[in-house]
Amino acid sequence: MRRKSRNLLFIFTGLALCSFVIIYLVWNKPHREVKGADSVETDAISLYNSFTSDAAKAKADFLDKVIAVSGLVQAVSVNQQQQQIVLLKTSVPGASVNCTMEQNRNKIKQGDKVVLKGICSGYIGGDAEMGIPGDVFVIRCYLSM
Amino acid sequence: MKRTIIILCIIVLSGSYRSSYGQLYFTKNGKISFYSTTPVENISADNNQVLSVLNMETGSLQFSLINNAFYFPKAKMQEDFNENYMESDKYPKSAFKGNITDIGSVDLSKDGNYIVHIKGEVTMHGVTKNISTTGNIKIKNGNISATASFKVLLADYYIKIPTIVTDKIARDIEVTVSCNYEKKSSN
Repeated sequence: MRRKSRNLLFIFTGLALCSFVIIYLVWNKPHREVKGADSVETDAISLYNSFTSDAAKAKADFLDKVIAVSGLVQAVSVNQQQQQIVLLKTSVPGASVNCTMEQNRNKIKQGDKVVLKGICSGYIGGDAEMGIPGDVFVIRCYLSM
Repeated sequence: MKRTIIILCIIVLSGSYRSSYGQLYFTKNGKISFYSTTPVENISADNNQVLSVLNMETGSLQFSLINNAFYFPKAKMQEDFNENYMESDKYPKSAFKGNITDIGSVDLSKDGNYIVHIKGEVTMHGVTKNISTTGNIKIKNGNISATASFKVLLADYYIKIPTIVTDKIARDIEVTVSCNYEKKSSN
């Protein structure tokens, strides 16, 4: 009887420990790997045009996926969290593929041709009436080339 | 005579449009953060991909953002936020559209901090609600930056929190908006 109780106690303790470890691992799992992930290749002009001409197809092809987008750097700046912002030129004046870099050590400058790898978070329309076009946003970017 | 009046009207109207257009400021990398605090856990997230347009002439103000661009310290929090609470696939964007009701009190030619009143509509999770709050506009060397905070009651936007985590997520979330604007060129 005593041995049976002891075995049950071991089993319950083991199960509780396993559950705790699983919950801990799930809760603390790392963010999605971007740098080494497989990516969908595109260029800034095609990416922007696909979101503005056929949003449904663009979402299916790019949204929330790791993409490698090539393009000409239109401007480089820093956001309020001191992350580097690289704007890639599109065919629409004032509109960009707006890339937030994961690391700030990139010596990217205006006029460079680059390939940036990051997660495509989608398109925000601007204010057409006021002449401010929207951007396609790519986050957690790395310089790929 | 009639023709002269019409021409004068066109000149005045086009002038006022140009003047309004000339006071247009925008950013595509504004920041929105939210903060949930409970005795069990504090949760915060930032989104640095906020598009905002501010018209200093009329006071009209708008923000829009993509929900899945919020970055959480923990990946699991981010996943739960997008999949279970905000349902970002179904409701990908959140927005604010409104006015700074006392924009006239801001003097663009004078550096300083100006407290302003903001009224408008927040659309989130497919629900639109009126809000009013105060904000701070900072003018420095002709550059404009603005901040504002307001509380969002999750129940107002039909955001359901599963009972298993109700003690970890606050019923009302503090939202903070911060933007450094650039002037829209007139071309």
